[in-house]
Order: sequence, then structure tokens, then C-alpha cells
Amino acid sequence: MAEQHTHAHAHHHGEKHTHISRGTYYRVFAALMVLMVLTVAAWWVEKNLIELPGWLAVTIAMSIAIAKTVLIVLYFMHVKISSRMTQVYAAGAFVWLIILFVITMGDYVARGWPPQAGPLP
Amino acid sequence: MSTLSLPQTSYIRDNSRTFTDWLKSWLLTVDHKRIAILYLLAINFFFLLGGLAATLVRVELITPQGDLMSSDVYNRAFTLHGVIMVFFFLIPSIPAVLGNFLVPLMIGARDLAFPRLNLLSWYLYMIGGIFALIAAVFGGVDTGWTFYTPFSSTYSNSNVVMTITGAFIMGFSSILTGLNFIVTIHKMRAPGLTWFRLPLFIWANYATSIIQILATPVLGIALLLVVVERLWGVGIYDPALGGDPLLFQHLFWFYSHPAVYIMILPAMGVISELISTFSRKRIFGYEFIAFSSIAIAILGFLVWGHHMFVSSQSVYAGLVFSFITMLVAIPSAIKVFNWTATLYKGSISYRTPMLYALGFIGLFVIGGLTGIFLGVTAVDLHVTDTYFVVAHFHYVMVGGTIMAYLGGIHFWWPKMTGRMYNETWGGIAALIIFVGFNMTFFPQFILGYLGMPRRYHVYPPEFQILHVMSTAGASILAIGFIVPLIYLGISLRKGAIAGDNPWGATGLEWKTSSPPPTFNFDKTPIVTEEAYAYPPEAAERDAAAWRPGSPL
Repeated sequence: MAEQHTHAHAHHHGEKHTHISRGTYYRVFAALMVLMVLTVAAWWVEKNLIELPGWLAVTIAMSIAIAKTVLIVLYFMHVKISSRMTQVYAAGAFVWLIILFVITMGDYVARGWPPQAGPLP
Repeated sequence: MSTLSLPQTSYIRDNSRTFTDWLKSWLLTVDHKRIAILYLLAINFFFLLGGLAATLVRVELITPQGDLMSSDVYNRAFTLHGVIMVFFFLIPSIPAVLGNFLVPLMIGARDLAFPRLNLLSWYLYMIGGIFALIAAVFGGVDTGWTFYTPFSSTYSNSNVVMTITGAFIMGFSSILTGLNFIVTIHKMRAPGLTWFRLPLFIWANYATSIIQILATPVLGIALLLVVVERLWGVGIYDPALGGDPLLFQHLFWFYSHPAVYIMILPAMGVISELISTFSRKRIFGYEFIAFSSIAIAILGFLVWGHHMFVSSQSVYAGLVFSFITMLVAIPSAIKVFNWTATLYKGSISYRTPMLYALGFIGLFVIGGLTGIFLGVTAVDLHVTDTYFVVAHFHYVMVGGTIMAYLGGIHFWWPKMTGRMYNETWGGIAALIIFVGFNMTFFPQFILGYLGMPRRYHVYPPEFQILHVMSTAGASILAIGFIVPLIYLGISLRKGAIAGDNPWGATGLEWKTSSPPPTFNFDKTPIVTEEAYAYPPEAAERDAAAWRPGSPL
């Protein structure tokens, strides 16, 4: 009974669907393949054509990687069509990842990273 | 829409005709209670094995010279002790055994949300354990349980990869257990069982599960990268290859400090149950204890750098970590004060589980307060990598977690087996453990403060007296661990029939039969009152009715 209610509710707002169609899976897969080609292309361009500054190269590589991750988490791991509670947990995992990165990088920056910046006094 | 059903039989009984059928009924079971028993057997086996390695270490340290084993063998002995005790005993102990058995019972559910996943976690635990055992049999590993790089990734010639694989696989077991608990606690509570009516053991396991899910993957990745660097020379931790050895410490402690709370939080949950039951009082400050579990779980993620004060970590990071470390003392102290306040004017009965609970409070306070010494950078510089640290974490891990584990096993033994253990022997064993424990580890505080470094098998002769005391204490402690094995084993056949609720405790697990039927309850229970709903006059009435030889 409760389940039917949620179902109707979700459809009413048009924000949740109970499953992801096969076509969407193929489109996501295609997008991932394109992003993979982009990753390799970015590496090749940096290696053979133009010398990119480190921060730019890292930003490009990270942006592509994040795009891939988001696609996989939302579609292949079904977070897009999951309950709010599942979404909160999935988001929570990234909050924890940010904690890991921010605090660890805090140490690295204070010790002198990138090396030319030198350590804090 | 209620239907009458025949009373179910106990989960232990089954009507298999042949031995193979019986074995299958256990090894392919999806019943959370049977899986808890499988864990109980496996975990106690690993505990004995880890204890054996500890024995080797303690015996070697009786004399200042290295006369029992070489330094290399000694390294392997203390590593075996650490790896087995941390990964294969302490982390799974209370959640996998007591949590598995009790979470569905306490919330009035038939089973965990994912019974087959639960069985898979046990198999993953066993496979991980087998890897660790094989590594130990074929020469062992000499890195210490922390697997610090660059020693583990570049220099060590022992079975690093094999051991790491074991810990990696076991990590998945831990993650799956946590996942199962979270979904079960969210989705399967009995009607009327709101969040603030949950037993505090459930809150503690919920907090633990959050840590298991969010921290364990980081350990998995950190260890996997050690293997990648060892096998294929990819530069992650080795500076010669462009890596950073300190990165390993960051990643490792991002898991392993919260892992300390994976070990102690469920123990605190057990203690809340014991203190309330054996004081005949509602727990003091329920909400504070519940939220302090969550606070410890979250703060636990922000303090890992206090393990790295003496590494090349920046002093600024050290300062920040030191300050945040102090904050963990607040929720821990909230718990201790609330337990003490619960005892106040309670009708306290010194049954075996309560002896362990009281022991826990005292020992945890010592372990926790010495943790504050270590969180202060100035003191930590003096005692880093000495026996002071060893004593500190054994006070928390053994004095905390193992005391609570044993207290919990005794408390729920009648529920698990349907039989009572021998109370006299129970009390004697608890006292032996308390005395043996303090005699083993208190001298180590002094040793460490005087400068005895950890992980050395030879030492200056002036330390011998304290080391001999410690080894003598360890022998007493070992006896204390063996005695319960004997009387608990005997109780399986000869123990008095326990009845559904031998302690007169509250809580849904005591409302079903002992041992519980396969699906826990004949009818889904409906909860109409808060946890620990002892009436206000219960303690006074209980005290007035007490006579020598009273059961409680």
C-alpha cells in the first residue's frame, strides 16, 4: 500500500522513474567511450603538441574523470532513480572524500607543495 | 490480518538426517543467528592464534637478550599478533558476532535486510583469514600491522602481498556487514520502534556501520597501491619513483584511526545495555549517549594525523590534528559520565556481565586519558613508538573492547544457547582477567615513559623487572581467557535451562524464546515504550527484595 503510494507520488512529480531504459544505458556507455578517447587525446596533445602548465593539465584530466564518475554513479549505480536516503548516503561518501582530500592536501601545502612554493615558515 | 501459526523450533535445531546435511544446513545458512555462531567460532579461533603470537612476544621479552628468537622472527611474531588481532578479531568481534545475532532481534525483525549478503560477508572473512594464515605459515610478514612504506613497498622480503590481500578481502566483509546493518536499522524496525526507542546497542552499531562503509574502502585502496608498487614498480609511495611514503600514512590512518572506533563503539553499546540491566534503571541521558556515538564516528575521521606527529608531517597539520583530537574526549566522557550516573541509586548486582562492564569503565578511562597525553604533541614527541603507546591502546582495545565482548557474550549466552553458564566460575574468570590485564599492561606505561621502544626484542637490563611483571601478568590473563572457554563449553550440555529472560531485562530480544526460533518472533512485536523502561521504583524494590543467594 505504502509502496503504491510512493510510486504514484513519484510519477506525479515526474522526478523519479522506476528503471533506466536500455537505450539510456547504451547512450551512457557511448558517452563513457567518448570521454575515454578524450582522456587519451588530452594526454597525447600534452605529450606531442603543446606544453601545458601543470595545473591546467590536472584540471582537464580531473574534469574528464569527474564526468565519467558522475555518469557511472548516477546511471550504472542507479543513484538517479534511488530513494532520497540512498542519495544522501551516496552524497555522504563524497563529503568524506572531500574531508580526506582537504585535510591531506592541507598537510602537503604546509610542507611545500607544489615544491616551488616552498614550505610555510 | 494476523494469522495463528505453530510455534517455531529453535534456530539451533534442524531435522537433517545425515552429517553432510547438517553441515550444509550450517555452511549454507542465511539465518543471522547461525551466521553469528559461525563468526563466533571463527573469530575465537583467530583470537587464540593472535594470543599465541602474543605469547611468543612476551616470552621473548622475559630476558634482555634475544635468546628465544632472532630479531627477524620477533618482527614476524609481533606482526602476526597485530594483523590477526586487529583485522581478524577486534574489528569484526562485536559487530559480526553480537551485532549479527542481536540487531534483528532487538528491532523486532525476522532477519537482516540482506541475509545472503550476510553469509557472503562470513565467507569473505574466512577467505581473508585463510590468506593471512597462509602468509603466516610460509614465513610470515615483518612490517608490523601498519604496513608502513617504504619498508613494505620496497624493502621487506616477507609475505607482504599475501597478507595485504587477506586484509583487503576481509575489508569487504566489514563493508558488507555495515551496509546490512544500516539498511536493516532504517527499514526493518518493528511497528512503534522509533529511533529514540532503539536500544543504545543499535545506535552504537549504526555509528560503527557508517565508519565501516566510509573508511574501509580507503584502506583497501591504500593497501592495493602498496601491492601495485611492489609488483609492478608504479611510483606511489617510493620517492625514487616520484611517490611519497607519507601518503601511505595519510591513507592508512584515514581508515585505521576510525577503525579504532569500529572496535570501541559497539563495545560501548554493549556496556550501555549491561549497566542499565544490572542497575535496574533507565539509562541516564539516553539521547546524549546515542548522539555521542554518532559524534565519535564523525570526529574519528578528522584526527588521523595524530599518528603522524613524528613523521615529516607539517607541524601546522600536527597542531590542527592535536586540537581536534582533544574534541573526541568530549563524547567519550559523556558516555562515561552517563554510565556512572546510571549506577547512582541503582540496584547494582555484580553478576559476571556487570563485572566486565565495571571493569570496562575503569580501564577505558585509563586508556582514554592516556590517549589525551598522546594527543598533546609535546608529550607525544617523548613517548612516540614506546611502550607507553602500546599500553595505551591495549587499555582501550583489551580493557575496552575485549572486556565488553566477554561481558556481552556472557550476558546474551542464555539467549544464544538457551543455557546458563556457571556464575561462580564466571565471576572468578572476570576477576582473573582484570588482575592479569592490569599486571600485563600497567608496567608498560612505566616502561614506555622510561624510554623502552616498541618492536625491539632486546633491551637494557634495567627494564627487565617491568618486563617480567608484564609477562607474568600475561600468563594470568591467558588463564583468564581459557577458563571461560571451559565453563561456557560445559554449559552447552550441563547448564541450567535459562528461560526467555533470565536477567529480567527489557528489550525485544528477551521477549522471544531462548534460543530464539528461526524467524525470531512468532508474531511481529509492537513497541509501545522506550528502551530500558524499568519503572522508577524498580531499583528500590529490587534492593529491598535482595537476600543472600538472590538470583540478581
